[in-house]
Amino acid sequence: MKARVEVLDLATVVIAEGRLDFSAAAGFQAEVEQALGGSGKAPAALIIDCAGLEYVSSAGLRVFLLAARSAQRAGMWFAVCGLRQVVREVFSLSGFSQVMNVLPDRASALAQVPRKPA
Amino acid sequence: MTECRTTVPSEADQLPVLAQFLLEFWSAADLPPAQSVPFEIALEEIFMNVVMHGSPAGRQGRVEVCLALVDNNLTLAVEDDGPPFDPLTVPDPDTQAPLEERRVGGLGVYFVRQMMDAVSYRRIGPRNELRMTKHVAR
Repeated sequence: MKARVEVLDLATVVIAEGRLDFSAAAGFQAEVEQALGGSGKAPAALIIDCAGLEYVSSAGLRVFLLAARSAQRAGMWFAVCGLRQVVREVFSLSGFSQVMNVLPDRASALAQVPRKPA
Repeated sequence: MTECRTTVPSEADQLPVLAQFLLEFWSAADLPPAQSVPFEIALEEIFMNVVMHGSPAGRQGRVEVCLALVDNNLTLAVEDDGPPFDPLTVPDPDTQAPLEERRVGGLGVYFVRQMMDAVSYRRIGPRNELRMTKHVAR
């Protein structure tokens, strides 16, 4: 699996691609922790873009759970987007779709990021 | 009927070997690629359960995986030589709990139950066997 991070004005986006199984989970978690502000300033919003994600198991889901929880504690807006059918089914079965924002694609996720009053 | 089996040490680094074994069976049996994911998930969840909880005391455990296609029903059987453990006794996770109380424990077995048509456990001598069957549409 591959993960990379894009820092935008509105939000930090983690782009997840490939297979998020037990073997990939620790590396992906490290990327997500970095994006959550591990390297300094925390972003106002974090989006995990899953459009390229082909597979996720419970070990992979754990990373999303920890990210959503860290974001909530930090008062950071959090969403996942672009879930393919097979990944969406795992999110839905686990009930994770009910405790985190799940949006169709990156554009709709960015459109929902709360704007700070000027 | 098409059948294939392999045996690996009960170690996390064998997961890619098993994933590859499944995908090779899938293409050799000419099964529709879109339907492999529930089996990939079942194999990972059950194998990792064995790795985490199931090694026999004092020695390296072994896990045998068998795939058998009969008509259009595929059975995935996972056998291990660890202490007796029926994963079907693991309670379902609370999929309605608020974020702070969510746990991942138990989700793997829950996925297997939900995704497969039939799941059964047997203790056979010194081994645990979990059989998981699902119809594959062709």
